[in-house]
Amino acid sequence: MWGPPDMKRFLKPGWLLLTFYSLIFFSFIYLPLAVIIIYSFNSNPMDMTSWQSFTLDWYRGLFGLAEVGPSLGTSAIYVESTDQLLKALRNSLIVATTTTIISTTIGTATAIAMTRFRFRLRNAYQGLMMMPMMMPDIVLGIGLLIFFVTLGFKLSLLTIIIGHCTFLSSYVFIVVQARMAALDPALEEASADLGANEWVTFKKVLMPQLMPGIVGGAMLAFIISMDDLVITYFIAGTDSTTLPMFIFSMLRRGVKPEINAIATLIILASLIIAVIGLYLRTRQVE
Amino acid sequence: MMRRQSLFLASLLSPVTIYLGIFFIGPLAIIAVFSLLEPGLYGGVVWNFYHWNYGRMFGWADGVIEYYEPIYLKILWRSMMMAMFTVIACLIFVYPVTFWVSHLSQKRQMFFMFLITLPFFTSLIVRLYAWLMILKPSGIINDALLWIGIIDQPLDMIFTRFAVVLGMVYVMIPFMFLPVYASVERLDRSLIEASSDLGARGWQTFLKVILPQTLPGIAGGSVIVFIPSVGNFVIPDVLGGAKGLMIGNLVEQQFLDARNWPFGAALSMVIMTVVLTVMLIYALKIMRAGQNVGAS
Repeated sequence: MWGPPDMKRFLKPGWLLLTFYSLIFFSFIYLPLAVIIIYSFNSNPMDMTSWQSFTLDWYRGLFGLAEVGPSLGTSAIYVESTDQLLKALRNSLIVATTTTIISTTIGTATAIAMTRFRFRLRNAYQGLMMMPMMMPDIVLGIGLLIFFVTLGFKLSLLTIIIGHCTFLSSYVFIVVQARMAALDPALEEASADLGANEWVTFKKVLMPQLMPGIVGGAMLAFIISMDDLVITYFIAGTDSTTLPMFIFSMLRRGVKPEINAIATLIILASLIIAVIGLYLRTRQVE
Repeated sequence: MMRRQSLFLASLLSPVTIYLGIFFIGPLAIIAVFSLLEPGLYGGVVWNFYHWNYGRMFGWADGVIEYYEPIYLKILWRSMMMAMFTVIACLIFVYPVTFWVSHLSQKRQMFFMFLITLPFFTSLIVRLYAWLMILKPSGIINDALLWIGIIDQPLDMIFTRFAVVLGMVYVMIPFMFLPVYASVERLDRSLIEASSDLGARGWQTFLKVILPQTLPGIAGGSVIVFIPSVGNFVIPDVLGGAKGLMIGNLVEQQFLDARNWPFGAALSMVIMTVVLTVMLIYALKIMRAGQNVGAS
């Protein structure tokens, strides 16, 4: 009954101004990403922020196709850092993949238990699942660090994976629980009435319906794991640098022009994953 | 039948119970323990009860071995203020846009929601690096201001508290947008109509009708923005320099440079207390609001 036109009447004097402001707001959000992408094609090796001319050298350098850098002497550093970059990327992919599998399993199982069963400690579990998401990263990071060191764990990719799963299980849980809440329990009841036991009902009735939620949760876990810096920073061993850590240490040491090319590729990769994920979700809704 | 069901439930819940029991509750408990231990001379700890870690921050140091250093409380206060500024700035930036988006067609609403959430999925460190480039003396903001002629020398924007708050606002915007938008979208528009039909001015309608109805979203968004802001250490590290130091940086220093783990643990207990207090207040308010709705 109260469609948009009525509201527009209320806002009319300011509507144009509001539209103008909102569009500026959205440009503000994308400005930083645009800046990096543009600078990644800037050939100025001394100051990336002043434009010289268009080049693809930084990308070529990343893939080892070109010797880049102002002189031969420094180019050795670039090649070395490319190797480190690839190693960091590999570490990140190992961590994110393993973390995604473990946290999706834990989060999904918990979400099913919480929506299909009534039990005494249900509220306590709900609170427990929210805690890791609300706990500041740095607290969890140093907690895990002390924990691992005190118990004699060697800091490695394994400790990073363990750390990531503690909070990513909660993210998966939230996404899958939302999906669970939207499902019709009558289907499972029908399955049980027809004589299927819990496991068969679980496998044949619940899982297929739940799959979009599980995939969504898994993608979220993968993206956050790939991107996590704070917790990783504290519990990574010397040999287990991940991609965000690599960039972070690059920022601390002083940046090199190729960082723009790296950053652009990271932006592109994460945008592709996010677009696929969000597309899948909107298709479900329809 | 019942037994099989509870067996099923147990098998669903055991992974999370074991996992979080060991790797979440364990670390939190060990921080609490460590914050009350004596720091060893060359890093590490001595297993003695030692309350001076807190005394050093809050002022009951003995003045012989441990000194009271007001700087810690000062930086804690500063961090809380910066997180507060971040919350307020996020809210001011986001609030008008949520109204705008909520008046678009269904399809466009989806599109702009998508635009808001998308940057969240791109690397945090890359986005911060971008701000480093933008705020630099030779970055585009200074270039633009110089070109227009507002300033004749580049402004020092990088490595200031302003840069830190700006970075935090930028990163936290989706977290403020989504809850506020949810409450703006649910606004009872007939009430707004009624209010203006009855002769209320725009700002009166806003204060008496719109603002109270969107308050739950504002409160939720504020909590979600405040909590990760107050203990942040990456954003002040990248954009803040020495002037923009926050409590999270102090914790990091204790662990990686000073190697005084018990004191670092005590500092993070303080962060945890601030966060839990904010959450508790929020939860109590929500419960009270729920009771009021139930009573009326």
